[in-house]
Order: sequence, then structure tokens, then C-alpha cells
Amino acid sequence: MSEQGVVVKAAPLCVLLIDEDPERARQVEDGLIANAVVHTATATHGRVLLDLIARISPDVIIMDCNSPDRDTIESLRLVAQSNPKPIVMFVEEEGGDRMHDAIEAGVSAYVIDGLKPKRVQPLIDTAIARFRHMDGLRNELKKTKEDLAARKVIERAKGLLMQHHGMTEDQAFSSMRTMSQQQGKPLKDVAENVLTIVGMLSGKTGKADE
Amino acid sequence: MATSLTLGFAQLTDCAPLAVAKERGAFTAHGLDVTLKRFVSWAAMRDALGTGAIDGAHMLSPMVVASAAGVGPFPREFTSAFTLNLNGNAITVSTALFEAMAGMAPDTITRRPLSAYALKMVIDRRKEDGLEPLTFAHVYPHSMHALELRYWLAAAGIDPMRDLKLVVVPPSLVVDALASGQIDGYCVGEPWNNAAVVAGIGRTLITSGEIWSNGPEKVLAVRESWASANHETHLKLLAALSETCAWLDEMDNRITAAQIISTPDYVNAPFDEVVGSLTGKNRQTGGELRVDMPDFNVFHRYAANFPWRSHAKWILSQMIRWGEAPADIDTGAVAKAAFRPDIYCEAVKPLGVACPGADEKLEGVHSHAWLLKDASEAVAMGPDLFLDRRVFDPSNLDGYISSFSVRDQESRLGALDTSQVSSLAK
Repeated sequence: MSEQGVVVKAAPLCVLLIDEDPERARQVEDGLIANAVVHTATATHGRVLLDLIARISPDVIIMDCNSPDRDTIESLRLVAQSNPKPIVMFVEEEGGDRMHDAIEAGVSAYVIDGLKPKRVQPLIDTAIARFRHMDGLRNELKKTKEDLAARKVIERAKGLLMQHHGMTEDQAFSSMRTMSQQQGKPLKDVAENVLTIVGMLSGKTGKADE
Repeated sequence: MATSLTLGFAQLTDCAPLAVAKERGAFTAHGLDVTLKRFVSWAAMRDALGTGAIDGAHMLSPMVVASAAGVGPFPREFTSAFTLNLNGNAITVSTALFEAMAGMAPDTITRRPLSAYALKMVIDRRKEDGLEPLTFAHVYPHSMHALELRYWLAAAGIDPMRDLKLVVVPPSLVVDALASGQIDGYCVGEPWNNAAVVAGIGRTLITSGEIWSNGPEKVLAVRESWASANHETHLKLLAALSETCAWLDEMDNRITAAQIISTPDYVNAPFDEVVGSLTGKNRQTGGELRVDMPDFNVFHRYAANFPWRSHAKWILSQMIRWGEAPADIDTGAVAKAAFRPDIYCEAVKPLGVACPGADEKLEGVHSHAWLLKDASEAVAMGPDLFLDRRVFDPSNLDGYISSFSVRDQESRLGALDTSQVSSLAK
């Protein structure tokens, strides 16, 4: 995807970026900043948002597809006096590939009528790429957190088995791994069950400190 | 094997037909495996329906009419064969504005339905004093909320386009916006009127049923192409919804329904607020009164689920009135495409639900309950009056629209919807 495909000499486009997620907003802003003047709004709604738009008069509005503020932006299309330049939605284009790409990535864009698609497209592409990148980072983080949590549970279960059944660390681990294979359950689930059962038998719940 | 479907819904009490059908097993009983997906924006729900990410949607009735009229994205792609509910909205203003209104016109403020006359006096006074115009919010440009709010304002001589600022605020944020003084009032569905009253920051002035008795609110919207390709599935879906709506209309069941929909998966609001919205018990209206309004939400009785083409035409008449649809549009064709009573009747006749014989009726002529005899079986109907006692004859839209003195004289669509950026991809 091109991030610097904007034609020379034209004044940079003014982009309003609306995103509740400050982290992602920063990512997208970083991507756009070479080719556009970017204003970012992270917690602005309703009348304040409309006032902001009237003040900066953006050429392009890029926002999260699922933002509740989208309905506010849609109303601009019909309120001529507060915004003389009609706003046209990216999703109104024909063809649909771009539209599906954008929606799938969670990006929606509103573009001032009359702007050359060529000028806008690189910005939209960048936003789509950055939204996807953030999704990737998030999934990775989520997985890391889950792995870490699973490891903690397994360690604790091992500890309990060693304590209550006089097993060595290796024995405790291999006994859980056998249970995991026999029951077709992830090791973490087996460890959770072990914590619950051993905890119950010893009169306290193994999950008490979670 | 069960047919899998995904339906979109908004975080409002009138998602009840979908939520209850799912939770009580009505979809499963008709061989459907339905997944419900919540949306926080109507635009996002519309895009999801238009691009096929969902199969059906709990949608604002005017959104379907707008699509059928070729306005906005997905022109002529949406249709509905099922009205999910009648009434259910209200207009709430800040306590400060209510007190100003009561101070200006103490005699009109006690009358129900509460006219916007006192509000007009406040607006006129603010103009004389050189103050900023008041700001009112609704939830979407093509919504009953927008049409009801404008109808109420204009009936008292307020021009909603010039005498005040109208903005769109998402329902879940209106109470905060009112509390912070960003807006002075709003028209929205529940539980968001009740929430402002309970919080002590607003007064509910009038309910949508007092502006137009038993007007259509949400519909089950589908793509026209989907309806053609999945006719049998569509019929099963409507049958499950019809049975659920009948169940919902039993007042005792509304308590159970409130328990279901107040949960985090659906409306995610306190049970007390939701149950009040759903039963219409102890409702505030007229700014002060607390009354029981059993028809605050109608899900089934009065042939509520029948998609009257006269309803579609009334919505269209208001869109033309406010310059949101071209005045020369073929209103008959739009109403036919938007609402499909033929599909509705095919779906519900096997269930023994009565079907009206005509697709249209006069609106605004019954002040009390009446009997609709032109039907497969006579149907007890509710009142259909408008606030200003005007009669809507669906065969004379032009006469109706030109009878309003407050309306938009020129279309605000302009070049906008005809010169859409056709392709950014080129």
C-alpha cells in the first residue's frame, strides 16, 4: 500500500480523525501526517463535535466504523447551513472492494464532494493499514496475556499436586499432561480443574485469589 | 438442519422482539439458528446490512423508506415485511428549559398533549435577548424521532430548521449531553427519557404516541435481494417474531422481557429503568404528570406488525416536507418497495393472525379504539390521531404536504445525493 502517493504541489488535505482509542488514533495520525494536516478527536461528541468540524472544516473525516458518533456525522449530509460542502461517504462508491476492505478493517470515511479520489485514496489506504496493524498488535498482546495467565495456573496446580500428593515437579506436570491428552482438554483447563478439586478437598477454593 | 442467520439490533428497549425471540427459543422452534449482533450506530448497522455482514436488522422505519426512495447509500436495496413496534419515543427537555417554559406560558404547560407553544415563547424571547438558539437532539437523520420532533415543533409554529439547532447524538450519550448543557432537549427511545427523569436532570414533555397515536417505530429490515433468495427463511423469521410480539403484548410478560433485555448482552441498563419503559407504568409526560400508558409500547395488538403502506407514505410525506426526498418522487412505487404486507400475510396467516384486506388506511381519523372489518378476521384497532388533528389521506400526498405552513421550501438534497463520489477506487 502506498503511503506517499499524493500528487505534488496541491495543498495538503485537512483530515479529521475521530477515534475513541487514543493508541490507535496516534498510530493512524503518524501514518497520515506526511501527507495531510491531521486533527484528532478522541472523546468529542454531538454538538461539540459539530462545532469542531465547523471550525476546522476538514476535507476528509476518517473514523471507526462502529463509532456511535457516525450518526452525528451522517446528519451533516443533510444540514446544509452548518456545512455548505456536501459530505459523501466512502461506502457509497461503486465496485465495493474498497468498501469491503474498509468495513472489514473497521474504517469509515466521509469525503467532501468534489475531491479527487486519487488524492483521498492513499489516506484511506493508510488508515486501513494502520487499523489492521493495531488489530494485529492487540491480538498478539491478548495471546501473550493468555499464555502468561495459563502458565501461572499450571504452576499453581503443579504446586498443589506436589504438596497434597507428594509428587515431584516432573511427576505433577506429566500427570496433568496425561489427563490433558486423555480428556482432549487444554493443559490450562486441566490445571484449573485440579485447582478447584484439590482446593475443595482441602476446604478452600483454588480460585480464591483470582 | 437449522438455517443460520445474523440479525443486528440497537441498545434500546424495542430490541425486545429480537432478544426475547432468541432467549425464549422462538427462532429455534422455527428451525432458525439466529445470532444477534449489537450496534451502537445506525449508520454502522445500515452498512452491515447493505454489505451482507448481517441478514436482517432492527431498523428505524424511515431508514428503509429512505433506501426505497433512493436516498443515501444502498438505494433501493432495503425492504421490510414486519413492523416490530408502534410508539415508544418521547421528547425530554432539561429541567431549566422546562421551568422557563412553565414561567412563560403557565396555562399551556398543564394541558395534554403538551404543545410546543410554551417552547416557542421561550425561543422568541431568546431571540429578542440576542441569546444563542436552543439545541435539540435526535438520533438519526432518517428516524421517527427526527420526524416526530419536527412535527411537534412545527405544529406550534417553530421552524425546526431555523429557530433552533438540531443535532444528532447517539442515544446512549443524550443524557450526558443534557446534563452537561450541550443540548437543551431531545427526542429518543427508551430507556433514555426515563433515565433523565430518574436522574432529576430532565422532564419528559410528550410521548410519540401523543404526537401520532400508534405510528410505526422499528421494523425488521432485510435486503430486497435477500428476501427474494431466502423466501422460506424470511417467512420462518417473521412467524417467530409474530409469536414473540404476541407474547410481549401480555403485560405480565413484560416483566420477564425486562429481565431479559436489561442484561449486559442487550440494553445493559438497570432493570427498574427498563421495566418502566417497557410497561409504560408510571410514565412521566406533560412535564409533571405521572400516568400509566399501557400503549407506550405496542408490539402486536392493533395489527401492529402489519407493514401499512400508508405508514411508509406518511414517512415519505415528512421526508419531502423537510426536503429530504425529491418532491417529484413516485410515492406509490416507493411505498410498495419499502413495505411488503404481502410477505407479512403469507408468513402469519398459518399462525391464525388476522390480516388487513387493504395495504393502506386513512391516518388521523380515529380518536378512540375502532374495529377494522376489512380483514381476514375483524381486528381491534387503536387510535391513530395526530397532535394537530390533521387527516392523512395516502392517496393525496401533495395536498397533505402543501397544507403545512412550516416546511422546507427548497430541497436540501441539492446536488448531494445525485453527485456522489462514484468511485474512489478509480
